[in-house]
Amino acid sequence: MKLEGVAAFLTGGASGLGAASARVLAEAGAIVALLDRDMALAEPLAKELGGVAIQCDVADHESLKAAVEQATAAIGPPRIAVNFAGIDVSQKISSRSKGPHPIESMQREIDINVIGTLDGCALFSEQMMNLEPFEDGERGVLINIASGAAFNGPPGQSVYAASKRAVAGATLPLARDLAPYGIRVMTIAPGFFKTPLAEGVDDRHIDKLISMVPFPKRWGDPRELGELVKFICQNRMLNGETIQIDGAMR
Amino acid sequence: MDIQGLTAVVTGGASGIGAGVTRVLAKAGAKVAILDRNEALGKAMAEEVGGASFVCDVASDASVQAALTQAREALGAARILVNCAGIDTARKITSRKSGAHPIGPMKRVVDVNLTGTLICCAHASHAMLDLEPLDDDGERGVLINIASIAAFNAPNGQAVYGASKAGVVGAAVPLARDLARYGIRVMTIAPGLFDTPLAGTMDEALTAKVLRNALFPKRKGRPDEIGSLVQHICENQMLNASTIRIDAGFF
Repeated sequence: MKLEGVAAFLTGGASGLGAASARVLAEAGAIVALLDRDMALAEPLAKELGGVAIQCDVADHESLKAAVEQATAAIGPPRIAVNFAGIDVSQKISSRSKGPHPIESMQREIDINVIGTLDGCALFSEQMMNLEPFEDGERGVLINIASGAAFNGPPGQSVYAASKRAVAGATLPLARDLAPYGIRVMTIAPGFFKTPLAEGVDDRHIDKLISMVPFPKRWGDPRELGELVKFICQNRMLNGETIQIDGAMR
Repeated sequence: MDIQGLTAVVTGGASGIGAGVTRVLAKAGAKVAILDRNEALGKAMAEEVGGASFVCDVASDASVQAALTQAREALGAARILVNCAGIDTARKITSRKSGAHPIGPMKRVVDVNLTGTLICCAHASHAMLDLEPLDDDGERGVLINIASIAAFNAPNGQAVYGASKAGVVGAAVPLARDLARYGIRVMTIAPGLFDTPLAGTMDEALTAKVLRNALFPKRKGRPDEIGSLVQHICENQMLNASTIRIDAGFF
């Protein structure tokens, strides 16, 4: 689809990959709604991009539903929705020093990464399905963010990897459910990108991670992820697929 | 990489998906060398896009080496290789009516689709190893192989074609690993049903039946839609070693 003037909703749109993608989409003419927990980050970015910021916890159905309604009232129903909101607890499933992975943080990670994404798809696509179709009958596109960990998870990421593999696993049935309405569903599995989530890792570990990237030997610039999001929106033959973007880190 | 002014080699670039790739890359400012068996089509395409064409059978190591050398002399060192050359026999592995799949066409499909792709990757990447890097990341070039969704889910009659394309997908990660140290990326595209001469050999009833399996949009893809994906891959450096299905959700 053409991006000029269309509404794009991004959960987790206030920082990291979400913020960079919001910027790329806004530069291409989309009107963005940033659905995020952190208003201190979301509000100035939304203002800069000419969009709106709406507070939201994607793991809380009522909160997400209200945010979708507010965003629709502000900039119209979404043609593009990208589920960036995600967390990573990074703890081994069990170890002598720390014991078993606590259920609370496990549950929270699954609630945000899996349920938040699926609920987002449900609520966003509900808004899309009555829109006027564009060329080929296209009404909208949903993009979910998985992770390289979905296919090749390191130690300490069993919960994160499971949650992200679930997102990748949902891609095909989501695309099947929504094809009759002209709504495409794609998933992106990023490798190591320069995000607040990755920057929290200590320097030695960062060097080690970068040494594992075959080429280019650096972490990804979130803008490069944003460019892929934009390209997926523009190329209608892309549907039901998960794209790994990771500098060949496998 | 920024495509403007770079040299790109497109095998099978005179028709079908290859023609779509040639046109999009040329429009983005690349000098395109078309390697194709069909001399007349190759010349016409070269004229259309202001590139050059060279007769080449990708299944022949000598033919590939000669064509790549000629292309380099004409247009300069290539930074982009797109392997589009491919054929299909569409024949069951055995049937009461037609008997066992003959070895001749079986070998030819594998020679062109799989061995041909690897030969082109070998010679084209070898010519890139000592080029000046294009940027601070050290990028020297990108190889893009065209597989097929038949690599994952081929219909009957496509055992040989599906196997040849699955071979191309299988090579994707080790190719990228071999070439990463030289700053050469390797990506694979697995197209669904596109509007090409190869797909045109299917009758209308079969085409309609096949398209029922596409999720959305329910139409054949246009070769320029593969071309735009090739362009995005060239431009987006973090894409490496992956295989991207572009098939309107074809399962």
